[in-house]
Amino acid sequence: MAIITISRGSYSMGKIVSENVAQRLGYSVISRDLLLDASDRFHISEIKLIRAIHDAPGILGRLSHSKQAYLAYIQSALTERVCSDNVVYHGLAGHILLKDIPGVLKVRITADMNYRVAREMKREGIGEQEARAILERDDQQRRKWTKSLHGVDPWDSSLYDLVIRIDRFKVDDAVDFICRATETEGFRTSERTLQEIKDLALACRVKAEIVDDFPTLGVTCHYGNVIVYTKDKTHGAKLQKQLDAVRKTVGGIYNLEIHSSGSFPSDAV
Amino acid sequence: MSIIIISSDSLDHAEQIAEGAAEAVGYQLLGPDLLGDIAAAHKLPVEKLKEALGANHSKWRRMRTKRRAQLLACIEAEVLSRLMADRIVCWGLAAHLYVEGVSHALKVRLLADTREQVKLVALQRDISEQRAEKVLQREKLKQAQWSQIAYNCDESDPSMYDLVINLAQINPDESIKTISGAVGYRKFQPMTYSTKNLAECALAAKVKTRLLENMNEVRVQVRDGRVVVTSKAFKRERQKKAAAIKEIAGGVEGVEFVEVHLINYVIREAAESFR
Repeated sequence: MAIITISRGSYSMGKIVSENVAQRLGYSVISRDLLLDASDRFHISEIKLIRAIHDAPGILGRLSHSKQAYLAYIQSALTERVCSDNVVYHGLAGHILLKDIPGVLKVRITADMNYRVAREMKREGIGEQEARAILERDDQQRRKWTKSLHGVDPWDSSLYDLVIRIDRFKVDDAVDFICRATETEGFRTSERTLQEIKDLALACRVKAEIVDDFPTLGVTCHYGNVIVYTKDKTHGAKLQKQLDAVRKTVGGIYNLEIHSSGSFPSDAV
Repeated sequence: MSIIIISSDSLDHAEQIAEGAAEAVGYQLLGPDLLGDIAAAHKLPVEKLKEALGANHSKWRRMRTKRRAQLLACIEAEVLSRLMADRIVCWGLAAHLYVEGVSHALKVRLLADTREQVKLVALQRDISEQRAEKVLQREKLKQAQWSQIAYNCDESDPSMYDLVINLAQINPDESIKTISGAVGYRKFQPMTYSTKNLAECALAAKVKTRLLENMNEVRVQVRDGRVVVTSKAFKRERQKKAAAIKEIAGGVEGVEFVEVHLINYVIREAAESFR
């Protein structure tokens, strides 16, 4: 029983590896359909969500209010899906969105640029120069997005448990590595891990419900005890009213309170 | 039969995994002990070879470029010729940086558990974990600087390796199983082309070692027995230098033909012409 996130660049065979891993282990696969979940639940068009996760911030380097909200929706949808355990997620930033959960196997699939260019040329029927330009732009965009949003370089191998260069192995070999890694004690989902995932999912859900009106809050949850952190003392009554409404609609909340604080805990969403 | 090259941000982990992998697959182990043999063969102090590999950052930074290049060339030549024997697990000799184009070499990078490292450093130096974290960050930066200056690349770049394993979650035993399993894959079996590449790398390193005893800034490549040496020279000494290179390189066993390319010292010559 495990949760696996697979991160990859374009045309790095990551999707195929993910699907094969899921098939071999009997796990479910989460990827772009996650956006449909978030889109349905929070009534935002899929296009807007796609742009939120694909487009790096503009020249001013700031994320717009709405983009922050969209990312909160995506994170909420993702964390609720992984609660069911035995999932393989391949998509943007799974290793970051789930980084605080112990026991999540974080894998990155990489490939030599020439290999990726050749695959793109074959698939899209385009020339080498065009293919290389597209891939470089895509890589740059993804890297910029992750760095600006999470302050980390997605190419930093210390973010992952395993990095596999797919052009040096067959897909089946990569699948073998990943499946074997899930047998390690550290990646078997324990009661504690499941509880942490549930807590994270609840924190993300609460955040997603209030992020529209209060984009700068932090939320934590431990065993159903939700704490909402705010640096703005004027939020008071309006925030309380909204949280009362959230309490009625979102299940699993044992206790819900507001803390005014100069800084948020490191595990706050 | 393959070659396994293990690199790590922690020498202790590299040694542990290398030993385990060598035992698991029945391969020979090649590690920093080799520096003693190299020192004896070239009449060099072992400490200088360790410094050239970045063991002592401040001493390495103070080393002259030519001296560093010479020492590294001696290490490369010996390591590459040993790797020709095949069925070897190599660690602690920076082989991941100069074994290139050899498809039957499995390159693995191991990342130590940062939290464990911080605790260890804090304990060893009797400092807080916060300070220990800063110490570790500085060490990593120094190591990155070393690989950038010595080999013009960042050795922490994951694209240089076939596999990167984070020991924070994947324990050493699992890592050894993963590595041992990988060497059986078809892509890591020696092919004629990759064996030839390795032999050519080894020859190039041998020639470079000889040349660096007499001159600096040489680049050596070998293709199909043809040795190509690139260096720099003043206009007035080009012929003499080319002749010297051909004589020295030609004297190395296995060299059939030597081609020399000399680039002018443009800036130096311009400076001299103003004197």
